[in-house]
Amino acid sequence: MRVTLGNPATSRRARLQALGLDSKLLAIGVGGGVLSGLLGVGGGIVMVPLLVLWAGYAQRKAHALSLGAIIPISVAGIATYGVAGEVRWWQAVGLAAGSIVGARIGAGLLARIDERVLKVVFGTFLVGVAALLGARG
Amino acid sequence: MSGPTLYVALVAFGVVVGVASGLLGVGGGTLVVPFLTLAVGFSQHSAEATSLLVILPTAIAGSLALRQRGVGDLGLALRFGVVGAAGSVLGALLALALPASTLKIVFAVFVGAVGLRLARDGLRPDKQVGA
Repeated sequence: MRVTLGNPATSRRARLQALGLDSKLLAIGVGGGVLSGLLGVGGGIVMVPLLVLWAGYAQRKAHALSLGAIIPISVAGIATYGVAGEVRWWQAVGLAAGSIVGARIGAGLLARIDERVLKVVFGTFLVGVAALLGARG
Repeated sequence: MSGPTLYVALVAFGVVVGVASGLLGVGGGTLVVPFLTLAVGFSQHSAEATSLLVILPTAIAGSLALRQRGVGDLGLALRFGVVGAAGSVLGALLALALPASTLKIVFAVFVGAVGLRLARDGLRPDKQVGA
């Protein structure tokens, strides 16, 4: 006889389903969050491919899901680093002001640019940055 | 760099970061953290902490723009993110426990991996990006 009522695993799953989440989303969220807090990045670079390839979301939906998730994820990271006194507030305001303007410019350029060439150039640039960081580390 | 010069440089670099992330979906922390450590002289920990504060308003602005266009489900994304927030606290505590030199190497490996993946995506001729 199988009694599922009150089974902790089943009720946990039911609670997750009520929130629209499943175990894959849970794992991707926690993984993206750890990466974000550890490295000071958004985590989208890990979350988007996993949402598409593992959880089966369409590219645009995965992008939107990841971008929205970065809001609570970054708030938690900022709070944790903030308690440790590591956040430099006014420098962040300057960068963020520029970045919001730049994001609009970038989105506008999207249709008129060869994305492949840009990816190769930017990817190569990042590998150079990584080498520089490693050399200075 | 100090005072007003530094601030102008920060805003200008912010524009570059914004353009890169608008175009490629990459560039928030991947660019801000190396800029703050290499050019401004921040410690690795401060650079990462400050980077998260740059990412937050960008994510808010982007999410609102997507919601206006009816793309995605912001409520679900936020609930998904609250789960991620637990991971983020864990990650930040781990970073704070690591020495700056170790954390910098971990970060360098991450940036290198992102760079290689972008270059590979760009060189792959047959890949279709979903609408």
